Amino acid sequence: MALVKLNDLEVEVEDGTNVVEAARQHGIEVPHYCYHPGLTRPANCRMCLVEPHVFFPPAGAIVPDRQLATGCTTVLRTAPPDRKLDGKYDFIVYTDSPRVKKAREDILEFLLVHHPLDCPVCDQAGECDLQDYSYRHGSDKSRYLEVKNVPPKKDLGPDVLLYSTRCVVCTRCIRFCDEVAGSGELGLINRGSHDEIDIPRSHEGTPIQLLDNKLAGNVVDICPVGALISKDFLFKSRPWFMDKANSVCSGCSVGCNITVEYKADGVYRLKPRFHEDINQHWMCDDGRLGYHYVNSDDRLQLPLKRVDDELTPTHWADALTVIQEQLSEVTAEDIVVIGSAQATNEDNYVLQQFAHDVLQTTQLGLFGQLPGEAHKFPQFTIEADKNPNTAGARTILGSANGNVVLEDEALWEKVSNAKVVYLVSGAPERPLEDAEKAALESVEFLIVQDVLPSEVTQLADVVLPGTTFAEKDGTFTNSTGWVQRIRKTIDPPGEARVDWEITQQLAKQLGGEMNYHFAGEIALAITENVPGYADATHQNIGDAGIKLT
Amino acid sequence: MIKKIEERRILYEHLDVPDINTFDVFRQYDGYTRFEKAIAEYQPDDIAKMVMDSGLKGRGGAGFSTGLKWSFVPKDIKPCYLCCNADESEPGTFSNRYVLEKNPHLLIEGILICCYAMGIETTYIYIRGEFTLGKKMLDAAIKEAYEKGYLGKDIRGTGLNVDIYSHPGAGAYICGEETGLIESLEGKRGQPRNKPPFPAVEGVFMKPTVVQNVETLCNLPFIVGNGVEWYTQMGPTYADTRSDPPTPDPNTGTKLYCISGDVNEPGVYELDLGLTCTELIEVAGGLRGEEVKAVIPGGSSAPILTHYELDTRLDFTSLTLAKSMLGSGGIIVMNETRNIVDCLLNIMKFYAHESCGQCTPCRWGTPWVRDIVQRIADGNGRKDTITRPKFGVAENGRWGDTGETEDIYEDLDLLESVANNIANVDTMTWNTICVFGIAVSWPAVSYLRKFRPEFEAAIREGKLVTLPVAEATVPPEENYAYQQRFIPKEFADL
Repeated sequence: MALVKLNDLEVEVEDGTNVVEAARQHGIEVPHYCYHPGLTRPANCRMCLVEPHVFFPPAGAIVPDRQLATGCTTVLRTAPPDRKLDGKYDFIVYTDSPRVKKAREDILEFLLVHHPLDCPVCDQAGECDLQDYSYRHGSDKSRYLEVKNVPPKKDLGPDVLLYSTRCVVCTRCIRFCDEVAGSGELGLINRGSHDEIDIPRSHEGTPIQLLDNKLAGNVVDICPVGALISKDFLFKSRPWFMDKANSVCSGCSVGCNITVEYKADGVYRLKPRFHEDINQHWMCDDGRLGYHYVNSDDRLQLPLKRVDDELTPTHWADALTVIQEQLSEVTAEDIVVIGSAQATNEDNYVLQQFAHDVLQTTQLGLFGQLPGEAHKFPQFTIEADKNPNTAGARTILGSANGNVVLEDEALWEKVSNAKVVYLVSGAPERPLEDAEKAALESVEFLIVQDVLPSEVTQLADVVLPGTTFAEKDGTFTNSTGWVQRIRKTIDPPGEARVDWEITQQLAKQLGGEMNYHFAGEIALAITENVPGYADATHQNIGDAGIKLT
Repeated sequence: MIKKIEERRILYEHLDVPDINTFDVFRQYDGYTRFEKAIAEYQPDDIAKMVMDSGLKGRGGAGFSTGLKWSFVPKDIKPCYLCCNADESEPGTFSNRYVLEKNPHLLIEGILICCYAMGIETTYIYIRGEFTLGKKMLDAAIKEAYEKGYLGKDIRGTGLNVDIYSHPGAGAYICGEETGLIESLEGKRGQPRNKPPFPAVEGVFMKPTVVQNVETLCNLPFIVGNGVEWYTQMGPTYADTRSDPPTPDPNTGTKLYCISGDVNEPGVYELDLGLTCTELIEVAGGLRGEEVKAVIPGGSSAPILTHYELDTRLDFTSLTLAKSMLGSGGIIVMNETRNIVDCLLNIMKFYAHESCGQCTPCRWGTPWVRDIVQRIADGNGRKDTITRPKFGVAENGRWGDTGETEDIYEDLDLLESVANNIANVDTMTWNTICVFGIAVSWPAVSYLRKFRPEFEAAIREGKLVTLPVAEATVPPEENYAYQQRFIPKEFADL
């Protein structure tokens, strides 16, 4: 630990911390553009200038260093005993001296000379570092009278637009593509004030390579200004009108920490949230753009039952009564209950409790999205398992005595011999193979709980409208054993209900005793009954998650 | 009465000998004997000590002590590289070019001595892309040296291995900056690195690297061949009185002064350090024109000297005290017909074009400065005439506002402020990554301060006006930058 005099504070920081991070840890903002904790530090924006104080032997005193230093590259370390300042400090640095303030104002003036100041129509307005720092550290007037550079707007790839006029050439996006994605699509063209970010192009200007790697969306997040813009979010909403909730991506079993940004009428975008051991600062585009089904107009809003071979809307009481009638006619051996790797631990726990206690069947199954492609990047991984909760669902469905969790072929063989199947899907886009379809068709009475019309709901006798990750509280367990929380953001559409509530309602209909009020209560039950989950209460999990031991 | 100054040719002594670029002719003129003497008579550390004692200062621009630079190189990290900076692109400088084109073996000999002293086995010569002839001659000389056994493995049976690779630049001024050069050499975009770490610790391929100018390396054979005592006789040695007792501050050796502009015989002159501007103009055949208006002492990035400052001695220390620099020794003389605003515009166009664009102040400050100067030169400079209420007896005989006016040249204040925001010339601090920032603001601010009447005239008249020298120049007592010269009494003649 190094003892640092940071402005008027006396703070201890770990060796190797830079001034920007050390200041951030103690609530002091050092403005910066090019520095990003997940990337290398070229120190080219010159915004994070700070004033180190050094010992000046001729004067025999500690004086401000002649040159200001960049906070991002000034690393704090323990000094040898004879090099301590004032007898004890390893470093003395000021982030608010008049010189520093002057330097910041000067740099901001330079940053704004060619900036179009089109904040009213800029997507980044409200979350723009250029706006925020100008507001806090900048000058109130411009002295620039000359003609501004107007570099062209560019289409870089499937989801990314570049408004070159707003660019401050911090090169974060270039470094991201080089270091994290490893694909290096972006580079600088031209020189000096004509610097532009661009993709490789032929002499005629046609793109040779597009910015279309699976992590491309991250460059929009790390762009400190409104230069890189997501086509998906362009002109959808002002950032300050959206609410935010910490959640977890449901796109694959990595379990990237995300922030869901939403308004009452739907989810607007997903952004990655820092987690040191899982996703660092990043997320993939599959997850980022995979939320659209939540806002779909086709969402199941009412329970459906099959009347004259047609699925017809009905109400909950009717749907549950129909199910009750069918279940009362079969024995436990003829029932298969299938949980979902897309559903939360809480959903699956209530489902297995329903199966075990009420239906008294031990035949459970696990359904979910088919495996996709895995991608490995220098500093990021996308898993092949496209379900967020395979590990959790498998453990929790099999947690009660005698439960067997069937998957794949074994499951479909069991299904083809069953009379009643209760299938919780949550994976509406999953295609069914012929054998699977045949197995489901042979079932006498198929209950499907899903969010969108799908191949499975086509075969169902009763369809119950469930909820997506954005509409419920709960926990997911990722492939590396991290249990993390998702949070409810918007209300489910129409009459759709949270999956565990549906199951509990069904249990009550059948005379079972189950009385959970909220997801956290189920999590408590999980801590008592599922091995390994002893600490996994919602309070313990919080925003950081906990790792199963 | 100015005494007749003779050139002292050392580096350029045999420059005019026909075919000196071939090994055989070079050999006739003591070629490679100094290197042979070095490996026969001295240990590597002895050479380094000789260079330190000789007081040789880097001739590339910064004037940093070569011996001191060598002492910063960690001895335990190998490989260590030598990088010869032949990217001579400072406007007004053209001395390295003659060495490369006419006497490349001298450079190779200097490199061999440096490699021997520092235990270096690989040398890169980063040669300016436009020097096609220089590159051709150099490559031929390197090939010949390999054939004669002065390069390659086990040189002359001494066990010394030295390889030289010449690498052409791609036409960027900033690649003459040592870390920009290294980046370019590594195949990246030519953008300077943050310092520290300095190249002596982390340079080419992140290994310790000695970066030296061509002229510096060419001095080494003569220091080794003729001894330190002979070398230190040339040029003045000052006493740095900041320490007690005063430490010697040597400005030893000769310098290749590139004199251009309004002189009768422009060209490269090899002279002892420490001559005055007036003497130098005399050496170069005298002034062309009536009187000296200004002298740029060290390439276009150096602050300008007025006719009041012509007695300034052209060596590293004296020019530093005069708030200018010797730089690369590119001296440009201007006579009374030259318009300083026009000169500044020319220089600012160059720097705005050559800014690498890596860091914010330089990327957007240099074109801004150029645009302001352009506007002034076009006659569109802004001038505010304001009336200050001055209490006194007014024209009507009553007490009150006298109606006196004062001109405020808004654009000149803006020009100075913007230039100082890139790099502050008064405090010598810069917000940029490399010293390109100060290379821009130095001329901008010094031209403006020292020749302010000409800038004001351009704004006032709405066009470029060349004033007579006496009117155009700000007298030293009114010139802040000039006054600074007399404040530090840190150095005295020994």
